[in-house]
Amino acid sequence: MSAERERRHADLERGLTYAIGGAIWLWLCFRWLNSWLGGVVVGPTEPLVPQSFATATESLGATLGAVGDGVPLVATGFDLVGWAVGMVGFASQYGPQLAVAAWLTVVLTVISTLVGLVVAVPLAAARVYGRVTKYVAFVYIELIRGTPLVAQLFLLYYGAPFLSKFIREVPGVGQGIVPAQAVWIAIIGFVINSSAYQAEYIRGSVESVDPGQLTAARAVGLDKLGGIRYVVLPQALRYAIPSWTNELVYLIKYSSLAMFITVPEIFTQADSIGSETFAYTNAYVLAAGFYLVLVVTASYGMSKVEAEVAIPGVGSSDAGR
Amino acid sequence: MSRNDHLLTVEDLQKSYGDELVLDGIDFTMDAQDVQVLIGPSGSGKSTLLRCVNRLTEFEGGTISLDGEDVMAMDVNELRRQVGMVFQDFNLFAHLSARENVALGPRRVLGKSKAEANDRALDELERVGLADQADSYPAELSGGQKQRVGIARALAMDPKLMLFDEPTSALDPELIGEVLGVMRELADEGMTMLCVTHEMGFARQVATDIMFLEDGRLVEHGDPERLFTDPRHERTEQFLRRLTELHGGGSES
Ligand SMILES: Nc1ncnc2c1ncn2[C@@H]1O[C@H](COP(=O)(O)OP(=O)(O)OP(=O)(O)O)[C@@H](O)[C@H]1O
Ligand SMILES: [Mg+2]
Repeated sequence: MSAERERRHADLERGLTYAIGGAIWLWLCFRWLNSWLGGVVVGPTEPLVPQSFATATESLGATLGAVGDGVPLVATGFDLVGWAVGMVGFASQYGPQLAVAAWLTVVLTVISTLVGLVVAVPLAAARVYGRVTKYVAFVYIELIRGTPLVAQLFLLYYGAPFLSKFIREVPGVGQGIVPAQAVWIAIIGFVINSSAYQAEYIRGSVESVDPGQLTAARAVGLDKLGGIRYVVLPQALRYAIPSWTNELVYLIKYSSLAMFITVPEIFTQADSIGSETFAYTNAYVLAAGFYLVLVVTASYGMSKVEAEVAIPGVGSSDAGR
Repeated sequence: MSRNDHLLTVEDLQKSYGDELVLDGIDFTMDAQDVQVLIGPSGSGKSTLLRCVNRLTEFEGGTISLDGEDVMAMDVNELRRQVGMVFQDFNLFAHLSARENVALGPRRVLGKSKAEANDRALDELERVGLADQADSYPAELSGGQKQRVGIARALAMDPKLMLFDEPTSALDPELIGEVLGVMRELADEGMTMLCVTHEMGFARQVATDIMFLEDGRLVEHGDPERLFTDPRHERTEQFLRRLTELHGGGSES
């Protein structure tokens, strides 16, 4: 009986998660589409609910916050409730701006991790199997991991004017939905940075593949590269998924560093909302909510991918078969 | 006799790791359809000898020829295509099903189409009695089944010579028989086999010749009956006596 109830609870929880997550993503996608199409439904950063709703919640929040003033604990409790109610109004007004900014965060992290992965795989292979390339990969990885990401971004943005100039001259940059030059520089920086970290993760999982399998591949007549490609990497990349997910989650949050080179992503936008309204806390809490949605979605998606590509009989996802 | 008459000729083979001479002047030949069994204590260089034949290990001195061709002059991948190898710990590709394990070589080395490689893999799995496990993954197979997939994987390349490096020593006793059964069938079909094994029942019945290796030297070799009943060297006799005590004589497992 209790097992049955547990299952029902789990179902309810899952249903609720999907409903909330689905609603948030539906709204996000609407905001993005609306903004790409130049604001066909409402202005690109204009809220769907009227200004009066925000004003109403804010005054309701202020009223609630005033309840019990002077009584210890009670006052604090009502302050919190009042703040939360006011926050709803704040979110309704400024959420759209952050939603547009969130698109850039998504673009930054998705492109950077994927291109970073493409760079990381040969780096990791070189690190494990290379003769000379081993040292090249080692120096690259340690140099990048040993220096701050902000410094790397600054160096690319301010220290390499030819790069900015080159990107600016590529046709289409900054037009329509193609991100502007600063975004591309941020992507280049993140690719460089993330590839070094990913290479280390993948190196670990390459080393965890039993070397006997590579020997067997070579004994069949595959050359070393073929053995790495068809035997080692397919396994190593699977084993790397959990740590790779970590890297993705880090990058979602670290992408806020792009603020330093003027990329209008979530954090930049929150900062400017804060300085406009002086409600810095509200602005940052709202920004944190956006990061949370992205991070939770990324981890959930990657756990699905992990289960999807799991090798039958190997690992926890399929234990006992 | 010219070396061209033999399928495999090993002449004065020398191999060292650092200062340690692991193989010290090995000489022997194998003809087509021979089943050569190689025995010897741990560390005597049996695996190393096998790995020199398909150049998984480079050697410093002597020559090895396959079908009259110096293996050092051959393209290494071509050599390995012609020489199948079966390992003690199976070394199956963990992410591939039994069928895909066998099909990988035909597909990626021989360049066959996916369908052809698959058909070939199914044929080989059938040959080792595993047609019904074609879609199982290594982690889902028993040790004996894994090793039979390992044999099928080597056979799918149409090798001229099969190398077996203690194919049954990682197996539970009750699983050894199924692997030896497959090996015996292969021998009956005329496959040329160089086997490191301490399964004396198999050696006695199937081997055309048994070699005893110790400290990197071939102490003695001869046909099984002679070696078992009338070993010429004290060391051989001692080793065989110990094996017999351990494995319960020449009885069939
Ligand atoms: N890669 C290596 N590097 C250094 N020494 C090695 C290496 N491989 C083997 N040896 C040494 O070479 C000698 C022969 O090893 P080999 O594996 O050929 O013996 P074996 O007869 O197969 O033994 P076993 O019955 O234990 O498998 C041993 O002394 C071993 O320590
Ligand atoms: Mg050995």
